[in-house]
Amino acid sequence: MSSRNPSYSTPKECNHLTKYKLKHGLDGYYLIQEFVKTNPFGRTMIDKSKLELPRCSFCSGYQGRLYFCLICSSVTCCLSPGSDHTLLHSQSFDGHEIAVDLERAELYCSVCCDQVYDPDFDEVVMCKHMMELPRSENGDLRLCKRKRLNFGIDLDLRNVKRLVSLRDQWSKSCFPLGLRGLNNLGNTCFMNSVLQALLHAPPLRNYYLSGRHNREMCRKRSNDRLCLPCDIDVIFSAVFSGDRTPYSPAQFLYSWWQHSENLANYEQQDAHEFFISMLDRIHEKEGKASHAIRDYGDCQCIIHRAFSGLVRSDVTCASCGFTSSTYDPCVDISLDLDTHTSYPINVGKPSKLNESAGTSTLVGCLDLFTRLEKLGSDQKLYCENCQEKQDALKQLSIKKLPLVLCLHIKRFEHFPIKRLSRKIDRHLQFPFSLDMKPYLSSSVVRKKFGNRMFAFEGDESDSNTEFEVFAVVTHSGMLESGHYVTYLRLRNQWFKCDDAWITKVDEEVVRASQCYLLYYVQKVLYHKSSEDVSCLPMSPHADRFVPIAGCC
Amino acid sequence: MRSSVKRPPTPDAEEEEQDREPTLQEIINIKLVESGEKERLKELLRERLVECGWKDEMKTLCRAFARKRGRNNVTVDDLVHVITPKGRASIPDSVKAELLQRIRSFLASTAL
Repeated sequence: MSSRNPSYSTPKECNHLTKYKLKHGLDGYYLIQEFVKTNPFGRTMIDKSKLELPRCSFCSGYQGRLYFCLICSSVTCCLSPGSDHTLLHSQSFDGHEIAVDLERAELYCSVCCDQVYDPDFDEVVMCKHMMELPRSENGDLRLCKRKRLNFGIDLDLRNVKRLVSLRDQWSKSCFPLGLRGLNNLGNTCFMNSVLQALLHAPPLRNYYLSGRHNREMCRKRSNDRLCLPCDIDVIFSAVFSGDRTPYSPAQFLYSWWQHSENLANYEQQDAHEFFISMLDRIHEKEGKASHAIRDYGDCQCIIHRAFSGLVRSDVTCASCGFTSSTYDPCVDISLDLDTHTSYPINVGKPSKLNESAGTSTLVGCLDLFTRLEKLGSDQKLYCENCQEKQDALKQLSIKKLPLVLCLHIKRFEHFPIKRLSRKIDRHLQFPFSLDMKPYLSSSVVRKKFGNRMFAFEGDESDSNTEFEVFAVVTHSGMLESGHYVTYLRLRNQWFKCDDAWITKVDEEVVRASQCYLLYYVQKVLYHKSSEDVSCLPMSPHADRFVPIAGCC
Repeated sequence: MRSSVKRPPTPDAEEEEQDREPTLQEIINIKLVESGEKERLKELLRERLVECGWKDEMKTLCRAFARKRGRNNVTVDDLVHVITPKGRASIPDSVKAELLQRIRSFLASTAL
């Protein structure tokens, strides 16, 4: 597919449409909005009367395409270029050029003999359409879902133990550069696991290894002696030095404690919370705007350049169909586990349940994230159009994808009534290669509105939607006490980073693990970093006599 | 042509323009539309034509036509005129048979 032509571009208005709009504005559209109907299958059409068949005013025919004149409301048919009564109508009456296709609810210009497009018209149609979406008995919106693909992977967890094999000491020195164990300094596996992932995030790694944060300059410039980015720079240098002995990130831990006093203890912490706080701290130091207002849209610090994306939220009024969109920046996406089966709607076929009892998929979670959600009646929102609070529908989609996509799986449920929280151990199946295209705003909105023009205010360049996983932070154990382990994927080989112990593992181990944080990077960057010389295994002769403590 | 050509159209023209008996085809069509069966049949047809690749074939034809003529020189009317004969001819017999069967059973169920 050619990348030169944009797949969608708003066609130019024909001058007949322009003339019509100048003379009549949007009145005709609103009058016809009353007759816009959505059939049970989600198609929009014009339905003047359920009692009668629409017939052509010239020949009483009901076959072929039927058009409804926007000026005089007469119906005409168009069977072929030889029998075009719609054209005849526009020739008989001056100014009656614009009509609406009864079957499709689309604008048509009789003189140009072509469909014409007007974002205003589409908006009018869609407003009505949204109000009339078919609902099931309990009032939930039923929308035709995509057919699900069933992955044929059968996970037999008993085989996992067999697959985890420890290589001999020789092969350690054949590991790619940048693999180094991190000592546990007292329940700091949450910190070690996230650090391992960040050490191998291509944009971050390239930034620090190319010396973009100058430690010398930094110490002279800042007033306080503490600088988290400096400490991170130290870790990068240590980990990529070639030394394989496990490293203790004590200085970094101390610095982080200074910044987050409430978490300065040896208790177990949440890795995601740590990840977010770390990004915050680095941004504070590195971002152009110091303190106060964080202007996410414009921030060019390394953190935002690497992780920052944009999430679009569409809220639709259930009474009038008016939709308002807001954009929120984010550095990661938190996903709920999809624990429910889907209901594919097939015409004439019974619906099938195609979900096994205990497995969720990442695709399922992403579908859940971008689903059209009916907000409860206790969450009524103010509608500008209706000028009062109404029931609403909400849908999320991704407007801009980051370079590094961090997906956080919400593995906990809270029961406020019982006042307890529980961890969800459900296994999540995730792909190594992920295409985020179906979750982009352009795709989600297009699916909702079909080919209606108004929805596309400049498509995002969707050439970079393919991602490759490079790090997986997994959790095992209970909510209050557990252990974090990170799996790193370097040059398509997986390594398990369990605090000080680094081992080579097979991909089945990773697939069987209980993922908590998934780190994906854009495919282009992943393959580029694989070509890096530093990732090539070093010659075994170089490090022959370096003792490798901590491996067993 | 009929005399209605000269008559100025009114928004709610309900005048009876049929001065002949409706044909059987018309009656069937009316019954199908009134009961909503026509919509269901249309959806079924759409699904079948997608499944058997007919829709993709037509899309390819349209693309080829648009490429030849130039993107900005193509109208909906042109496209319809060009692909209608080919489209009608390439509908699989199984699809025709299924729809005919459904129409028959519908007619059998309604008193005509």
